[in-house]
Amino acid sequence: MITVQAEYTARFKEITQTTSETIQLEQANMAELAQMLTTKYGPQMQALLIDPNTQDLNTNGTLFIDSSGRRLFIDDTLADGETVSFMVGIAGG
Amino acid sequence: MESGLLRVDLTTGEIKREILPHSMFERWVGGSGINDWLLWEHFLKHDIMCDARSPENVLIFGVGPLAGVGSGIGVKGRLTFKSPCYGSFGDSTGGGKFPYVVRFSGYDYIVVTGKAPKPVYIHICNGEVTICDATHLWGKDSAETHQMLRKELGDYPSEAYTLSIGQAGENQVGIAGVIADGWRIHARCGGGGVMGSKNLKAIVTQGTQGIKIDDPSSLLEWSDGFRQKLDANEAAYGFKRRGTLGAVEMYQKIGGNFWRNNQGAMFRGEEVRSDNWVKKYHKYSEVCSSDCYIACDGRYKIEGHESDAAQKYVGESFRHPEYLTTGSSAGALDVRDWAEVAHWGKITNDYGIDNQDLSCSISFLMELKQREIISDRDVEELFGRPQSLEWGKMEDIEALVEDVVYQRNPFGWLFRDGAYHGALRYSEQQGQNFMKYAMYGKGGASFTEEMRPFPTWMNNMAVASRGADHLKGIGLIEKFQRRDLSKVYFNGRTEAGDPTIPDLKGASTALIENQVALINSYGVCMFHWMLDPLGYAPESYYGEVYTAVTGIDRTKEERMLDGERICNLEKAFNSRLGMRREHDTICERWMHEPCPEGPNKGRVAGDMFEQVLEEYYEWRGWDKETGLQTRQKMEELGLEDVADVLAADNAMAGERRADRAVHVDVKIADDPGIPD
Repeated sequence: MITVQAEYTARFKEITQTTSETIQLEQANMAELAQMLTTKYGPQMQALLIDPNTQDLNTNGTLFIDSSGRRLFIDDTLADGETVSFMVGIAGG
Repeated sequence: MESGLLRVDLTTGEIKREILPHSMFERWVGGSGINDWLLWEHFLKHDIMCDARSPENVLIFGVGPLAGVGSGIGVKGRLTFKSPCYGSFGDSTGGGKFPYVVRFSGYDYIVVTGKAPKPVYIHICNGEVTICDATHLWGKDSAETHQMLRKELGDYPSEAYTLSIGQAGENQVGIAGVIADGWRIHARCGGGGVMGSKNLKAIVTQGTQGIKIDDPSSLLEWSDGFRQKLDANEAAYGFKRRGTLGAVEMYQKIGGNFWRNNQGAMFRGEEVRSDNWVKKYHKYSEVCSSDCYIACDGRYKIEGHESDAAQKYVGESFRHPEYLTTGSSAGALDVRDWAEVAHWGKITNDYGIDNQDLSCSISFLMELKQREIISDRDVEELFGRPQSLEWGKMEDIEALVEDVVYQRNPFGWLFRDGAYHGALRYSEQQGQNFMKYAMYGKGGASFTEEMRPFPTWMNNMAVASRGADHLKGIGLIEKFQRRDLSKVYFNGRTEAGDPTIPDLKGASTALIENQVALINSYGVCMFHWMLDPLGYAPESYYGEVYTAVTGIDRTKEERMLDGERICNLEKAFNSRLGMRREHDTICERWMHEPCPEGPNKGRVAGDMFEQVLEEYYEWRGWDKETGLQTRQKMEELGLEDVADVLAADNAMAGERRADRAVHVDVKIADDPGIPD
């Protein structure tokens, strides 16, 4: 069992109605975290998180990083106490 | 595919109508590609070394074939000219309704030369063109100019839409922009200064004519599919509410913000480092260009209850702040209230001035004062009055904007061409070297994002044809760590998606420059592509709709060559002006100072700079020693005619003697000095 902090911006914040939450995981990996979030928040979260073609984390228009700034993929492991940021990727303006 | 081309000589009053033939689109795609060719042709007959504020310069407006056809990708117009602030190739993009209504008036391209003897505007209405007196508009800001022209011209045969300058353009400020419909600025490179130098206050269009589509049923089918993809995309839904404001929080996480002249990489104000704007401020319409399925822009009205500062701006209405309006105020100048950020966006738009470059001029001086490098007496001499130069004080900042717009004191004169030239002139005037604190890249152009941890971004700032800028080669593969895209474009290699190493960053710059050139030539908005609900590749997905509209069919490989050809033409223009490898550079802070904070603390751009730049030249097929193009590459792209011109100007690698460069210093022609 590990504990991670999930932080949300933009569309993720609207869907979760919060900016962050603490989540406990049985397995220390992104696959379980993604599964928990899609179960908790439903199809809108699933559409943001999961690419239906690859079943990996969605790369189109989204960005998920750990506290070192590294992009996370579905097979990545997570350390106890890790912070995972869920973002919509955009630049320019 | 054919398009109407309008030529207006403001010196003689001559008006010519031409048809751009299909072959022009086969070679240059449309939009910015055709603009670039028209610019190139112009300066085969005129002195390319001319003062950009002289009648010899040209102002070209163009819009690509996909604009206004109902594809749903948005509409962007493009202005192209020789830049008065950077002395190089100059162009800038803007949305609004002008670029799409102009197509309905019969012209997709407008070439303005010469100089009118008094202020004028050009009125285009269903093919008829009139040069009209604009004396009554001179001195008005862009919003007021737009409203006055709409009232003056009425709403028949359609409402009038405008491309105008504010007071900054009238006063030929080098970093003045051009504003579409009174609220969407073509900010970069000083097109407003060029318009002002021609006594051209505005171009106004009214039109009800149609646009010819080669294959309407394929266009409609594509458009339906595009809308369905967007409707199903949750990220696009979030983007619709925020526009690029969503980048504030993302950049805060990845350490990509620019704070206090880039002394930091994170915003400090509790309010402005979130996207609370969308919760607190009343958005009463969702518009940009009419032909956009996302419609990320919107108008707000400040009601006064939103924050302490909001009470100063009750009733003020404008666009919601975009990321770079926020970056240039909440970031560069440490303004901490959203109402003040919004006000900064409004005043810079109304005066018609590039808030990127302007903010870097102001933040440069604020840092000098913060470090006590300049004294109160120095400041008083510079401004002709006591001036606090404290970070974040909006009233003071607003006064500094006016100083530059009206060039009413030494500061206004010295910094009218942006932060780099201002810092250089101020250093010379004071007999000290302040350039360590000037933020700029190629051409002296400034930009308010942290780029030290992002090698592709850094390289963009060094090589962009219009001077340091992100929109010529926006490094999304790296910044979003898209190893999947890196594999697609680089034969299974993933390094382009890893910002911690230099490998494939020069290659990424070249790739994305080609893609951006395509998008800008199609005449559509980049945000749909950047948001990537469609799978990123503009050369294939957008290419399909381009074929439906124009009848020009291409493989995706051929489309990428089209983009590369356009990039090479812009490069050739700068080579004729004397730009060489030594001009592909960035400022001292970006190059040598470690990134001060965030997840990338300690990263130094200079550690990777040369390797990335060399790789860029290699992927471009250019000469690494000089940075110049090679005849072999130009022939591969079908640019033999351009190569011949370069060779004649001694601007082609390996041809004629390298020690006989015709022009070795790129200077802006008009140093205003200090007024009496």
